[in-house]
Amino acid sequence: MMLNEITIGQYFPGRSLLHRMDPRVKLVLTFAYIFAVFVPRNWAGLSVAAGFLLFTVILSRLPVRLVFKSVKPILPVILLTSLLNIFYVTGGVHLFDWGFIHITTKGITTAAFIAIRILCLISGSSLLTYTTSPTTLTDALERLLSPLKVIRLNVHELAMMMTIALRFIPTLIEETDKIMSAQKARGADLESGGMMQRVRALIPILIPLFVSSFRRAYELATAMECRCYRGGEGRTRMKQLHMKTADVVSVMFVLLLIALLFYLNYTLPSVL
Amino acid sequence: MSVIETRNLNYTYSPGTPFRRDAIKDISIKIDNGDFIGIIGHTGSGKSTLVQHLNGLLRPASGQVFLNGKDIWEHPKKIREVRFQVGLVFQYPEHQLFEETSYKDIAFGPSNMGLDADEIDARVRRAAKFVGLREELLQKSPFELSGGEKRRVAIAGVMAMQPQVLILDEPTAGLDPKGRDTILGQIKEYQQENGSTVIVVSHSMEDIARCAKKVLVMNRGRIEMFDQTPAVFSRADELGAIGLSVPAVTRIFMILRARGYDVGDNVYTVEQARDRLLPLLKKGGDA
Repeated sequence: MMLNEITIGQYFPGRSLLHRMDPRVKLVLTFAYIFAVFVPRNWAGLSVAAGFLLFTVILSRLPVRLVFKSVKPILPVILLTSLLNIFYVTGGVHLFDWGFIHITTKGITTAAFIAIRILCLISGSSLLTYTTSPTTLTDALERLLSPLKVIRLNVHELAMMMTIALRFIPTLIEETDKIMSAQKARGADLESGGMMQRVRALIPILIPLFVSSFRRAYELATAMECRCYRGGEGRTRMKQLHMKTADVVSVMFVLLLIALLFYLNYTLPSVL
Repeated sequence: MSVIETRNLNYTYSPGTPFRRDAIKDISIKIDNGDFIGIIGHTGSGKSTLVQHLNGLLRPASGQVFLNGKDIWEHPKKIREVRFQVGLVFQYPEHQLFEETSYKDIAFGPSNMGLDADEIDARVRRAAKFVGLREELLQKSPFELSGGEKRRVAIAGVMAMQPQVLILDEPTAGLDPKGRDTILGQIKEYQQENGSTVIVVSHSMEDIARCAKKVLVMNRGRIEMFDQTPAVFSRADELGAIGLSVPAVTRIFMILRARGYDVGDNVYTVEQARDRLLPLLKKGGDA
């Protein structure tokens, strides 16, 4: 079933250095890396940024193929931006002229540059979700956002809602799969027919899905009340987050990376 | 002639990821027309995966499934036809109800078959009668019914397609004892009246002993035994070794025999036990 192919936001358990890192640090460093990817203005800088990503993938001990798989769904976007760049950016040597279409060396360079940038961006952020379980991730988010309590933002409840939402994604996918199978067993035709027919074919799937989502929500609420859940105040945690040497080292490593990228920008000519 | 035959079926979930799991391995079975088959096995032994192969919901990684001697994947475009001939009722089938009335929900399968309105109406009423749904319930929303009634509507929805083979995955799960008896009785009646083949997946040895003629035992994706019901339940030790058991009555009789009472073997249902014990008690009383 195609629903099993969705890997974005999926967690792959493991014991690698990346898996064991403090999720807060990992989250901040991922954002730092996303920032870093936008720094380079020349090929040397971009290769360093891409090389860093490859290094972290190796550290995570996940199959490289998996990381590439995360890119697959957004390939059309990358292709489209590349095409737009090729046609709209002009400068350098004209390679091809036909009417209003001009393809220039600069256009191709920009297109390739931005494509690689987006690739790094997506694989970098999916590496975060691959190596961090959703609960740890929201836990980290809650901690990082906790200063916002000052402006009366209920960070705990926000994080709890996110945890629950993330927790139920696989459950809902599984449920959808099951309902689809059940209706297919009764001869539901989901694959053929025109636009309207296909939309109508979704009704036997969406209605049971809504009904079961509401049922699950009620059950969960009851279960939480039974265990005396009453919000974040005074709540302690079973798993405390601790920063370790590895975390400090990786922070310094990423800072160095960003410094290096700026230095390369400064010393080498820009290609954009 | 066997209505369903599988040859060397293999299936793996999420191949090529760390979650990869072999679900069934090398399954070759033959099921005769008109048989009543029970499938038992531990959770995760591959029972549900196997039955989803029989109506073409899952496509085997390797191996073949034959329906009336024809490979069901010969024309993948026509797999829907196979699903009308091999009806599958999923676990907790009441979760799949969606129509405004129970009547319309039962009619969903037959209308997908492209039958005319009269035929659909006749089939819906016939199926409703089999599962004992009263006329007024048919016009109600399925969401207003009780749990047991919902389950019966869902089962009727598959019966209404009048499949040659009817497969039910845990039809009695989560029902009270009376509900279990009712549904099992109705399935049995359906099978006898139509002469169709029925396959029931169950965790309850009692249910299997009561209705199945043959039992298929699965363990870790493989077939452990496939034989007549008495023959399977006489191998209590082997069943115990793979985490299954024999019906409670059978266990009692084994203990009685071990203690030297001459009660005989091959007792799998309470009725059989009654018939066996009453004469003995009478004799004992006379002596």
